[in-house]
Amino acid sequence: MNRKLLVGLSLILSIAFLALTPVSAKDIKVLSQFPMSGPVGALPEFGWGYIDGMNWVNGEGGGVNGKKITWFLEDFRYDPTVEVANFNKYCAELSRDEFILATGYITGGLKPLADKVNKEEKIPWLDGSYSTEIFGAEGGPSKYPYYYSLGATYGDQLKILMKWIKDNHKAKGKPKVGMVYSPTAWGKDGLPESLAYARKIGLEVVAQIEYPYSATDATNECMQLRKAKAQYVIYHGYSGASGCTAIFFKTAKKVIKNVQLMGTHYTTNRMSILVCQEAYDGYIGVATRPFLDAVPRAKTSMENPIVKLAHEFARKYRPEEYKRGVKDKDSIKDMFLYLEGLTYAFMIQKVLTDADNSGNLSREGVKKALDNLVWDYKGMFGGKKFSYKSHTIPMMQIFKADVKMVKMGETMVPTGAVNPITDWINSDEIKW
Amino acid sequence: MPEVQADSEGAVSTLNLKQSCGQLMTDLLQALGSGILVGLVYSLLGLCIVIVYKASEAFNFAVGEFMVTGSFLFYIFFFDLQFPFLIALPLGLAAAAAAGAVIETLTIRPLIGRSPIAMTIITLGLAFFIRACLQLIFGSHSYSFFLELPDISIDAGELLFLSDPLWAGIMALLTFFIVMFFLFRTKWGLAIRATSENQAKAMAFGINAKMILLVVWAASSACIAVAGIMISNFGALSTMSSIVGLRAIPVVLIGGMDSIGGALAGGIIVGICESLVGTYIEPLGFTGFKEVAPYILLLIVVLIRPYGLFGTVRIERV
Repeated sequence: MNRKLLVGLSLILSIAFLALTPVSAKDIKVLSQFPMSGPVGALPEFGWGYIDGMNWVNGEGGGVNGKKITWFLEDFRYDPTVEVANFNKYCAELSRDEFILATGYITGGLKPLADKVNKEEKIPWLDGSYSTEIFGAEGGPSKYPYYYSLGATYGDQLKILMKWIKDNHKAKGKPKVGMVYSPTAWGKDGLPESLAYARKIGLEVVAQIEYPYSATDATNECMQLRKAKAQYVIYHGYSGASGCTAIFFKTAKKVIKNVQLMGTHYTTNRMSILVCQEAYDGYIGVATRPFLDAVPRAKTSMENPIVKLAHEFARKYRPEEYKRGVKDKDSIKDMFLYLEGLTYAFMIQKVLTDADNSGNLSREGVKKALDNLVWDYKGMFGGKKFSYKSHTIPMMQIFKADVKMVKMGETMVPTGAVNPITDWINSDEIKW
Repeated sequence: MPEVQADSEGAVSTLNLKQSCGQLMTDLLQALGSGILVGLVYSLLGLCIVIVYKASEAFNFAVGEFMVTGSFLFYIFFFDLQFPFLIALPLGLAAAAAAGAVIETLTIRPLIGRSPIAMTIITLGLAFFIRACLQLIFGSHSYSFFLELPDISIDAGELLFLSDPLWAGIMALLTFFIVMFFLFRTKWGLAIRATSENQAKAMAFGINAKMILLVVWAASSACIAVAGIMISNFGALSTMSSIVGLRAIPVVLIGGMDSIGGALAGGIIVGICESLVGTYIEPLGFTGFKEVAPYILLLIVVLIRPYGLFGTVRIERV
């Protein structure tokens, strides 16, 4: 009798175990790729922010309704080929049921992966690319249903700068704008539609100049702008950390003294203050994140909740890197980079939790969660919410640089910040 | 009345023509001036390749990396240790010379007596090695590099020459003449020239060829550092700045691999070529053409004069 009872009990337990096993053993697997070495190897903060964010999500953050995320981080060395190869490898190795979300970082990887991601794998893909070609009118959800950008397109960024010029131009006559852009896909992205918009709103584009990364001198370019009598110059497709930016700004401040220098996302930040110094003073730029990281860091405004959170994270998880000076390559040189990595982690947790709450923790479930997302991104946009209907986070803010040189020891060092001069703007709400 | 109108129309068109001519002349002067100033820095880079080539028949492909190394060494003395410019500059140049000497001792000296091609290939490897070391130490982001030199800008209406390129041109020219003086007015210079003519004969006359090579590499590194410091002062310094070294290749090939005067002429030609293309051709829609124009010019020159404009024509019998 006892033996029969024991066998029966074992059978029931086995059946119960087997019945429960597929659900509880199903992992949530996410692949992310960041440039931690290669051309932007000196800026590993993206990856650090992501690592700290994902560790927090799986720990204090509570995971996905208590379930942990198995996350993979690959250093793609800023090379699209590596990004594509990594994704293919994970697709081959992981089950579709478990591998339900991927993230990337550059436009160069999105193009070769378009069919693989959107037609074959049908896996939601969050990306750091702001490509107008992929996420603008010519691309977007109808063409690339599984691609989602984490910011506003460059086309929208350029247009919002032009709109700002139009709204704030005080001199007589049409505002005269000069465009300076890098001879790369990045530099040319968004140009055609922004130039059409400039014509539409009555701006006169008096010069379009390609200025290469390898430039050692910007006198020719600045003289062309001077001759064209440009009143505003939009500098697009460059990083604030690159030498050519410092060369251009330094020369522009002397050759075209009274011209308003403007720019897009990656030149509106702390690195530009540190590299361009007083030549950066007065610059007006658009950004898709709250670029509030002052020089010195202690003077940073902590009013924005996510900025405050990012600084708390960095102090807690990267105390040494947070404290180190900018000249140390293993330092957090610009908090925006760290914040960028962190926001990936928060977004991943949010959409996976939404999918889980809807009872469909699968690729399609995550896509639905993204498509239906209405979120304030932990207060990032001053309490404003955005939706992912355009597959971009359409929020932008315009900042102005306030830089002063102060004496420290025997040398002059820059101090200051980029401060917001507008509220957060939702490009989906603007009738361009 | 119609005659008066015709006269005034004629006067207006003459005035317009004069203004257009004036504008054209100003643009040309601006382009030529800017080209010469940056060309002088290229000349200095070219000179450093030429003196190494004359002493060892090796082409130093690592010139860009030597330039960045020298600039960073100066950066440490001036910006990090905050020495005054007049102290930081000689210290930086001395450190650059020492670095050049060490590199020569470790990599070039063991190849003395072997084919110059081996030395040339070593310099290619050195370029990658030095760049990797610099990235490891300094990272690949840019460093702000603003020297507070006296403002000597020339601003005459439409004509503008900024202070930094003017300083770069002056310093490059000064360094060029110091090297010329060293080569043609000192015993060391005589020994270097003798070694460059015939290493074996020079050694037979008691000249220490190894020491000569060491001195040449050290002097060359210091001069490259001057060019690097002046170029960095246009805005920023980063390991990416080493790309400027590539400009030295058309300079020496156009001027002539073994000609010091050729390096000066070659640098100015390349600088002017870039500037003219940037002023007149790029605005027509040929964007980026400035980058390749010196190489097209190089092809033309080499097709006509294979040894460069001022290079020694060698008659080789086979």
